[in-house]
Parts: sequence; structure tokens; C-alpha cells
Amino acid sequence: MARAHRYLATDLSKKAPPAEVDVEPLGDDRYLITLDGERLEVEAQALPGGAMTLRLGARTVVAEFEERGDEVGVLLSGQVSRFDVVDERKGRLRAATASFEAEGKQTVLSPMPGKVVKVFVKPGDAVTEGQGLVVVEAMKMENELKSPKAGTVVEVFAKEGSAVENGAKLVVVE
Amino acid sequence: MARITKVLVANRGEIAVRVMRTCKELGLKTVAVYSEADRTALHARFADEAYCIGPAPSRQSYLVAENILSAAKQSGADAIHPGYGFLSENASFVRACDKAGVTFVGPPATAMDAMGEKTRARANMMKAGVPVVPGTTAPFANADEARAYAKQIGFPVMLKAAGGGGGKGMRRVDREEDLDSAWRTARSEAMSAFGNDAVYLEKFLDQPHHVEIQVFADTHGNCIHLNERECSAQRRNQKVVEETPSPILTPQMRAAMGEVAVKAAKAVGYVGAGTVEFLVDSSRNFYFLEMNTRLQVEHPVTEWVTGIDLVAWQLHVAQGGVLPFLEPIKPRGHAIEVRVYAEDPATNFMPSPGRIVELRTPSGPFLRDDSGVYAGYTVPNTYDPMISKLSVWAPTRAEAIRRMQRALDEYVVKGITTNIAYLKGILAHPEFQRGDYDTGFLPRAHQQLLGVEDPERTKLARLAAVLRAHQRAEQQARQLPTQAPTAATSGWRTSGRTLGGWKRS
Repeated sequence: MARAHRYLATDLSKKAPPAEVDVEPLGDDRYLITLDGERLEVEAQALPGGAMTLRLGARTVVAEFEERGDEVGVLLSGQVSRFDVVDERKGRLRAATASFEAEGKQTVLSPMPGKVVKVFVKPGDAVTEGQGLVVVEAMKMENELKSPKAGTVVEVFAKEGSAVENGAKLVVVE
Repeated sequence: MARITKVLVANRGEIAVRVMRTCKELGLKTVAVYSEADRTALHARFADEAYCIGPAPSRQSYLVAENILSAAKQSGADAIHPGYGFLSENASFVRACDKAGVTFVGPPATAMDAMGEKTRARANMMKAGVPVVPGTTAPFANADEARAYAKQIGFPVMLKAAGGGGGKGMRRVDREEDLDSAWRTARSEAMSAFGNDAVYLEKFLDQPHHVEIQVFADTHGNCIHLNERECSAQRRNQKVVEETPSPILTPQMRAAMGEVAVKAAKAVGYVGAGTVEFLVDSSRNFYFLEMNTRLQVEHPVTEWVTGIDLVAWQLHVAQGGVLPFLEPIKPRGHAIEVRVYAEDPATNFMPSPGRIVELRTPSGPFLRDDSGVYAGYTVPNTYDPMISKLSVWAPTRAEAIRRMQRALDEYVVKGITTNIAYLKGILAHPEFQRGDYDTGFLPRAHQQLLGVEDPERTKLARLAAVLRAHQRAEQQARQLPTQAPTAATSGWRTSGRTLGGWKRS
């Protein structure tokens, strides 16, 4: 029998630790899944357009996916859930690197593609938690991004009038 | 008045398409105008002719009167329909149309002057004996003036753009220390939306209902109302769900509000379609809020229960026609509209522009999807995030709710985050179902609306996500081992993950 593969799946809508899910291929699109101590036999067939039909006993459901890197979005019964899914090895690697992360330095990122319309701070400025740093405009709505903590502005990447991508670094506060 | 044969629609998105549909039914030629960001937009493809009017920013395209009039001249359009937003409530644009000999489909400039600037409208309505919300009747010169006035009437207050509505340039301010930030963003938003950064202040009524009356007037002195729309389901001061009849209105209130609305319209010599917005407090007193001197976003619900094509009436009145009905129309059945936005409710309704990879819109009986997009279209980050309005009709409110729920279940948008799951949350919420919800409803129920979790569904979703990741890993293992893993790029977002504005680096 094939070896079970262990995955760590984090529900991105919650602040809960990742759940361990074991996948044991049984051949012919069938898998034995261990999830929360429950063992389920599932038959998973790919559908055109990146969808999947899952059969558990007689019950069949259709799931559709969107993937970005390790992030897997699932559309099921009209609702969307988003998970971060990695195999056990990558999960351990990640946990190890996380502990080396610099404490206290926080980067404010653009939460959407848009245009920087205002920059209120420059390097060296002291800021309080919740103080406005940058205003990003997208689709006629202006969003003022605030400092996540009290501290000092160490770097400013945002330039007034420039376009920014989703996730672009704007300001670093230490 | 001159006969209209060719209509230029000075707008974009769903409303441009909606107006053109009626024009086509009436045998009128249609002309679209578009910015450089909208070359491939649905409205530009939908019209008989299309003209580029400038670069992406509205202030250099959709808000430039000369460019629009020059497109009208070039195309030989004899009328301009402004839709909503942009130049629809701009009196100088109306005057420019008059001067150019093009029929503006909307009220005369004088009525817009009287109602368009919100502060002047308040003063005019007080003069006409219409009840208004306490607040200023002139814009402020600076933040200090606004602060002083706010302290005088007491927080919370609403900062509002004098030049237009639709939630743009509007901020609720609860505390004195929030005033500066609200002042800055409200003014700059007002400037880019209306080309006018004047803001004024109103007392914030605690959790009022937002109920509006549709009015219609012709050039022969006739003015009627076409009942109300309940618009209390709002997020960030923008309407999300609208319905008619309002579940809280008695026939007496409807008649009283209708009468006041007609009085307000007549006081300013109104012509065409207009909407008088009211706030209704918990004792069911109503106050004039503002008059929108244009077609409203939510006009389809009125069309559903009256059987009237409001755009057709607008064109009829613009050619000097007499209103076809002069008696109040009794609403038939119940209609609900939801606005589908490219935004993520989980991250404070952050806009989510991007490419629509797949689009499956609902169908079936008594259902209408006013969409401004298509599959494969990239929603630009320059304009309003509304991509479609879905509306349904049913004999009763309960049936209309169920029909809308069914329709939303059919709606699939892949590639960008939309508020569809959130809309389902609203329809299913007991407060909405009871029908007595005020403007505090959506903020109050926010967490609940983000999703009621079904643990069984979440388990299956997790299982599916893991299987997907596993199958992908297996597939990659079978391919060249040196090849870098590539993620599928297609996808949708009908509700989003929580994306913070920052992360640890």
C-alpha cells in the first residue's frame, strides 16, 4: 500500500493553527483521508475547467478551485473557503524560519492595486499606533493606511502619485 | 422640443448599458464615450458608436464636458443621457448642453442649482417647509471651523460632500480626534468624484432608516411620485440592498412622504426623474436628506413594481411629452435589488479590481441582471467597484427574498473578490427577514454577515483543498524534476481571506 502523505492545511479565515490531513492514495482516483481523527474514503475526479467532483460513499459534491502559490481557494455549496496547504516538510521549514523573524519591525503593504494619493510621513518620524501613514486610492474609494504600532518610520517606499500593486511595500515602522 | 434620434450616454458600466438598452428598444441610435481605461469595457462595445474622451482618470475623461460635447458633435447625437454620478448633477454641464443645442436628458440647470449643492438644497427645503436633518447650510472653510461646529452640535456627526452623493466624500465622525483624518479623505474623495471639495456637516441621527421617494415631473407642470424604496442596508454609506415597498411604511406614511417629495420637486421647478431621500427616525418622523437630480442606481425595483421603464419616461419627458399617468400608482408585488461589488467585505470592503476569469450569471423567472462586465474583462482600478445590479420580483416580500437567494446561489464570478457571499448573508439574516432594519444594520451585523459557518461544509472544503494540493504535487513530481512548480493562475474570489494592511517582515 502506498505511503500516506501528510499536509498542513490552515483555514485563512481563522486564527487557528493548521490542521493535519493525511492523504493515502488507493489508486483509481480513490484516497483514504485522515482528518480530525476521522477516516474517510474519497473518490476525486477532475472536471473540465479545474473543478473536481468528490464522492464520499453515495454523496457527491462539486468543488471549484483558485490557486495562488500555496493558497487554495475552494468554492463549495456557493461559499468560498481559503486554505494555505503545504506538505509536512515545507511546514516544518516554515516554522523554523518564522522564529528568526525580526521582532518589532512592521511593513505596511498596499492591500490592493491602486494609486498612492498622499504620504504623511518621512523616515525618522515618530508615529503613534493608528496614525495615518499613506492614502491609497482604488475605484474612487480612498483608504487611509494606519500605523500598526507606535514607533519610528524607518523606510518610506510610497511615492505620491505613483501606482502600486497589491502587496507593494509602502512604509516600514520600527 | 426637438425630437431625439441619437443618444450619447455620458457614463460607463452597467448604467450606460441599461440606458442604451431602452434607446435601442425605442429605435434610437446609441453613442458611447469611454476613457482610455475603458476601451474594452462592455458599454463601449455595446453602443452603435464609441468615442474616446481622454485618459483613465475621470477628471480627464468622464468629467470633461468639452470632450463629451465634442463627441456628441462628431457623432451627431441630439441628446445626452448622463446616467448617475460623473456629470449627471452638474448644472454647468446642463448649460453647456443647452448652449451646444443638445438635449440634456434630465432636469433644467436651475433645478440642479437649487438641489445639486446639498447645502443650498437644505436651505431651499427649509424655506419650502420641508423638514430637514439639523446641520449646516453652508460648506466649511477649514477643519477648525468644522471641528468647532461639530463640538457645538455634539458627536457623532456626518461630514458630507456638498457636490454629490453616493457615499463618496462622506464620513461619519464619532470623536473629535478622528475629524482631521475624515476631513482630509472626505474632501479629497469629493474632489475626485465631483470636482468640488466642499464639505458640510450634519448631526448623525442614530440608526435611522433611509427611505426615498421616486418623483417624476414633465415640462407641463405635472409632477407625481412613484412610491418609495427602502435603502437602509448600507456599508461605508453606500447602499447594498434596496427594496420596494419599504417594509416599515404604512399607506399613510407613504402618502405623506410622497406629498412632501412632490412639494420639494415642484418648489425647484423639477423636470424628469428625481429622487427625494429621507431619513426616518425610530419614532417614524421623516427628514429631508437630499434630492438626487438624476436616475438612481436602484431604479429597477421601482420599474419592477410599477411596470414603468423609467429611462423611456425620461426620454419622453425630454422631448416635451406629458406624463402618461397623473395618478399615484399602487405598487404591485415586491422587488429587491442587490449590488454586486468587486470588493472584499472581510477587509473593510477593500476594492478588488482584476480580471474576471469566469462569469456565470443567474437566470430564470422574474429576475434581471444589470451588468457592466463580461467574462475575460479586467475590472479597472480607476472607477466605482460596482459590477452589476441583480434584481428580482415576486408577489410577496418573503417570496422575493427566496428568489434572490436562489439567484445569488447561481451567481459565480471567478478571478476577483466579490461581495456575493456577504449579500447572501444579508438576505438570510433574521433582522433583514423581519424587515425592520436601519442604517446601523450592516455595520452591527458585520461579523455574522461574513459567513455563517457550517462545520460539515468546512470539513469537505478542507478535504478538497488538500486533495487538490496533493494532485498538483503528484502531477509536478511526474513532470521534469528540475521544473519550477507553477501555480494555476486562474481563479475566483467570491469572498476573501483576511488580508491585513501589514505583516511582519
